[in-house]
Amino acid sequence: MATEAAQQLIAALTRRRASGAVVSADEVVAALDRQLDAWNVTRVVLADDPLLEQLGVADALGGDRREVLTWPPRLGARELLGLEGPAATCGVSVSVAAVAPRGTLMLAASTGQGRALDAAAAYHVSLVPDDRLHDSLAGALGQVYREGPPPSALSLVSAPSRTSDIEKISTLGAHGALGLHALVIAG
Amino acid sequence: MSERPVSYEDVTGTLRERATEALGDEQLRTNLRASAGSWAAGRKRMDEQYPFQEMREKGREIRTRAVAELPQLLDQLEENLTATGGVVYRAADAAAACRYVVELAQREGADLVAKSKSMATEEIKLNEALEEAGLRVVETDLGEWIIQLAGQHPSHIVAPAVHLNREEVADLFEQESGGPVENEREALVAHARQRLREVFATAQIGVSGVNLAVAESGTICVVENEGNGRLVTALPRIHVAVMGMERIVGSWEDAAHILELLPMAAIGDDAAGYVNLITGPRRPDETDGPEQFHLVIVDGGRSALRGGPFEEILNCIRCGACLYACPMWKSVGGQAYGSPYSGPIGAVLTPVLEGPHASSAGQLPHFSSLCGACHEACPVGIPIHDLLVKARGQATEQRPRSERVGMWLWSRLWSNPVAYGIGRRLARAGARVLGRRGWIERLPGPAGAWTSQRDVPTTWPPKPPSS
Ligand code: SF4
Repeated sequence: MATEAAQQLIAALTRRRASGAVVSADEVVAALDRQLDAWNVTRVVLADDPLLEQLGVADALGGDRREVLTWPPRLGARELLGLEGPAATCGVSVSVAAVAPRGTLMLAASTGQGRALDAAAAYHVSLVPDDRLHDSLAGALGQVYREGPPPSALSLVSAPSRTSDIEKISTLGAHGALGLHALVIAG
Repeated sequence: MSERPVSYEDVTGTLRERATEALGDEQLRTNLRASAGSWAAGRKRMDEQYPFQEMREKGREIRTRAVAELPQLLDQLEENLTATGGVVYRAADAAAACRYVVELAQREGADLVAKSKSMATEEIKLNEALEEAGLRVVETDLGEWIIQLAGQHPSHIVAPAVHLNREEVADLFEQESGGPVENEREALVAHARQRLREVFATAQIGVSGVNLAVAESGTICVVENEGNGRLVTALPRIHVAVMGMERIVGSWEDAAHILELLPMAAIGDDAAGYVNLITGPRRPDETDGPEQFHLVIVDGGRSALRGGPFEEILNCIRCGACLYACPMWKSVGGQAYGSPYSGPIGAVLTPVLEGPHASSAGQLPHFSSLCGACHEACPVGIPIHDLLVKARGQATEQRPRSERVGMWLWSRLWSNPVAYGIGRRLARAGARVLGRRGWIERLPGPAGAWTSQRDVPTTWPPKPPSS
């Protein structure tokens, strides 16, 4: 069941020119590393989330190939937006929930995961444990808003940044992330 | 009527003149055809994948219920949002809303405002008010920025720059940046991305619209595809959201349905790229997000519509589908309407929000073939064609007495079977004289206005027009 929902999520995201994969917990770091290489990312901003810590993501991604920062990254807005420092940055978030049939990831703002983390960076990878997949938007929103105080911001992300404002043809990379990749963690 | 009418004050010419000019613009018509075509293809896909009719019924029920409960929902929204540290201001009209934002900006010493797309701010003319007060306002939605650089008004609710092509866009970007800009789509988008990042990094105030507010948690929803809505609401120190008072639902269950319907109707996709759900300013332990959050709720003539003949217009979720479906809008685009709200929805909303004394907006309801395509396209089933007829009635009440007496006499005569019969025989005799070649090309007297732009066939099926 969970795998089917995960496949649905990835298929819907792929239709909107994002990408994704279903991986086991052991495979997350390698999959993330491959995706960052594919985008030539030189700076990563990780959410300060227990899941990423548990998977050892910060240590595994470091080294001389790229700089790894954790939220809050103590960067000014200009650096966060890539106007200064490396342009190929990637925000790595953890989704609090996701809607499988419509390919929607949900990022809740918190101390460890800022509102701008995914949209200010050039690229975005989100990790989604498969038990957080829902089959409807109403179900997912109900879970977030009824089980505890509402987050100051909940960002629903279903595509890379896109615009059809020039000649009505969809073009990627208007203001938010140019690339979006979801890693659904099975089991 | 508010100090700042909904219609743009700087439009020139009559609706007829503007429409005639637009009809002569081949490039515009090609762009409009292409955009309406791609919208129709997206809608077809949605119709195939989802039970759109059922969803539409439910959408209508949700919106009707919300409008019925509007005062309670607004109170609940205010209470919940205030509890998170947000500030709610209820503005009776455009002038009050603008004054609030201008005073806030002055108090906070702001000089740069970054805006994401918002119909409500376009309606209240917030940019003009801020600029009059000496602030710099930059639209960050790509289409809105292009329009701002061109010094024009948007031509579609969702796709404001749909009437311009990439050569025109490249010229505008070159003028703004003072350097060469390649006229390829990707290059133009990358150029705008770079230029507008400077604005996100430095603006003290971010202004957004509100697609929907959710009373139960005190949350506003900003729906978008570019990511500028997020950056505008996350990076500046102050976030001001401006909403039309009717854009609210009670529960997350209702909100989820509307949030599903909106992108399906607007862009033919089952999810928008970004939906930003914001419940107040940043919390004390958070390191980004605005320190202040202000929600300006604009009445602007809306509460007067509740319980009246135009109440259903308050159900509108501003998806823009009725524009793409409308044969009039598809022919002339949005600029001819002279209002931020164009197409069928604009032809009703503009005059009814401005009130019965609206001047030029009174012509708008007549700018329709009443074909009903708008109703078919509407994701919340608003009978826009019926409302157009009612709005025509309202506009006619404002016509000179002589005209109204004439219409009354006409209606009395044609309701009488004998007078109707005589009238028909006279019309037939007249048609034989005036329409000898199968077509009446010119009618005498005041009726001439009717034939100034159309010919009337005198036989059925009509004869091919003689060249
Ligand atoms: S009237 Fe209906 S179709 Fe037109 S913008 Fe409003 S919701 Fe969309």
